[in-house]
Parts: sequence; structure tokens; C-alpha cells
Amino acid sequence: MAAKGEKHSPLEQFEIIPFTKTEIAGYDISFTNSSLSMIITVAVITLFLTLTVNTRSLVPTRMQLISELMYNFVAQLLSDTVGDNGKKYFPFVFSLFMFVLIGNMVGMIPYQFTFTSHIIVTFALASVVFIGVTILGFVNHGIKFFTFFYIPGVPFYMHPLLIPIEVISYLSRPISLSVRLFANMLAGHTLLKVFAGFVVAMPFFTGALPLVFIVALTGLEILIAFLQAYVFAILTCLYINDAYHLH
Amino acid sequence: MVDEEKLQELKERIQSAKVTNKTQQKRKKESGAGFGFKISTEIIAALVVGVGIGLIVDKYLGTKPFGLIIFFIFGALAGFLNVYRVMRRIEKQ
Repeated sequence: MAAKGEKHSPLEQFEIIPFTKTEIAGYDISFTNSSLSMIITVAVITLFLTLTVNTRSLVPTRMQLISELMYNFVAQLLSDTVGDNGKKYFPFVFSLFMFVLIGNMVGMIPYQFTFTSHIIVTFALASVVFIGVTILGFVNHGIKFFTFFYIPGVPFYMHPLLIPIEVISYLSRPISLSVRLFANMLAGHTLLKVFAGFVVAMPFFTGALPLVFIVALTGLEILIAFLQAYVFAILTCLYINDAYHLH
Repeated sequence: MVDEEKLQELKERIQSAKVTNKTQQKRKKESGAGFGFKISTEIIAALVVGVGIGLIVDKYLGTKPFGLIIFFIFGALAGFLNVYRVMRRIEKQ
């Protein structure tokens, strides 16, 4: 339908556009719209957190309250799931949570790229969690970490069947963690664009109907953006907990 | 005297706020679509790992179809195990 050279695909928003052409040792490390979006996210987080907590007033202002709420939220999450051991990992979980949350929120701004809708980004984040937690398990338990895959209280002849299942289940963690975030963001943003297409395509004033729907969907998307960041953080906490308490 | 009364009032307000806060936290529920997404990604992730291992085993041990078949089944079972764990975690809350 669209004229030649024009693109009106709902998937057009996920296209990576390189701003520079940089290549080091055969690897393409061009500065893209995805990188720009990440830099904006990190800048927003840094500026927001430093500026709002700058006053350090005992009775917090509204903005300071938001920062403190975020801090408390993650701190509560860690102490609920991991317990006292979890305090060490607060910086890691907090950075991860804020990066995903603000990344999703920045993506909700029109014309802004959503980097969490690319599986390579979420898979890299999930891999960091997975590898870190595995190393943590080995540091805490040494070679006994392998008993994680051994379920006590099962007839001995079941173990050849159960151990591969347990190993596959463990290896599937980073995939399920990354696919969940990626698929939610991809599906949500595509849906928004598809309905935006209906607004233009429908005759007369019936286009107002999908427009109302878009407004409602945007609200839902913001909820999902928060929920997915929360899920990412809580699963990280649970995995850290697993590395401390086998079974 | 007035201060005492004010403090008492504030105490009551904080107490009532805490109670409503707790009930709100309990009421937090997930949408059906989100729940379905969670379950399906668990199964798919386990299947992807199972099939991946199966293909690698086939490639390096030369057991062309059998590695894939066996690890596909293992992957499916691991998917069920993942779903079981998710359900148990939800029930605990």
C-alpha cells in the first residue's frame, strides 16, 4: 500500500540505525540509536537520583521521596528473598532494576527507541545474572554446588532421568529471563503501532475508537514496563538466594 | 497539651495508613495474559535448551536422530518442572 521507499511497518520502530561506522578487530561497534537510548537511560537515572537526593532533607520533598521509594523497594525485595546475605548485592540488583525500568519507560516516549525490545540486550543482561550466580554458587559451596542438581529423597534409579532434567532446567534460566522481558516489550510496542495504523486506515470518525484504545493500551504498557523490571529484579534475587541455599 | 493530642492523632493516622498499605499489597494480582506469558516462556526456554543440547550431542557424537529425540523429551520434562516451580512459588505468596 505504501509508496515505494516509504515504510509503514509496525516493526519499523525496532530497526537499528547506526549513527557512525566503527569497526574494531572485525567487530561492529558502531554508535546506534540503541546505544543512544541506553546512554539517555543511564543519564536519566544518574541525574534523577543525584539531583533528588542532593538536598538530603530529613523531611523529604516529593522528588526525594520517589528516589527513596525506589531504594526501599529494592532493599525490601532483597531482604525478603535473600535475607541478610542479600545486602552485598543491593548495588547490582538496584542498577539492574533501574536500568530495565527506566529503559522501558524511556521507550514509552514516542519516537524513542526501546532497547529492551531486542533479545540480544536482554540476553546479555540475563547472562550476566546467570554467570554471576553460578560463580557465586561455586564460591559459596565449592564442588558441592553440583548437589544442586541432586534431589534428595528420590529412588536411586530415578537419578539418571532427573539430573539431566535439573541441568536443563538450570540452563534454561537465562533464556526464560531474557525472553520474558524481550517478548513483553516487543509485543506491547508492536500492538501499539498496529492500532495506531487503524486510526489512519479507518473511514470517517470511526478512527477515534482505536485512538481511545491506544490511550488505554499506553497505560497498560507503562504497567507492564514496571512489572517486567520488577520480575527481572525478583528473579535475580531468587537466583542469588539459590546460590546460597541449595534447595 | 495540644502537641500531645496532635501526636496521638498522627500516630493513629500512621497506623491506619500502614494497615491499608498492607491490604493493598495483598490484593496485587496478575493479569491472565501476563500469567500465560510467564508459563509459556518457561516451557519454551527449557525446550530450546533441550533441543540445543540434543543437536550439539548429535553433531559431535554422530548419533544423528537419537540425541535430539532424547534431549527433546528431557527439555519438555524440564519445562514441566519449571512450570511446577513457578506455580509453587505463586502459591507460597
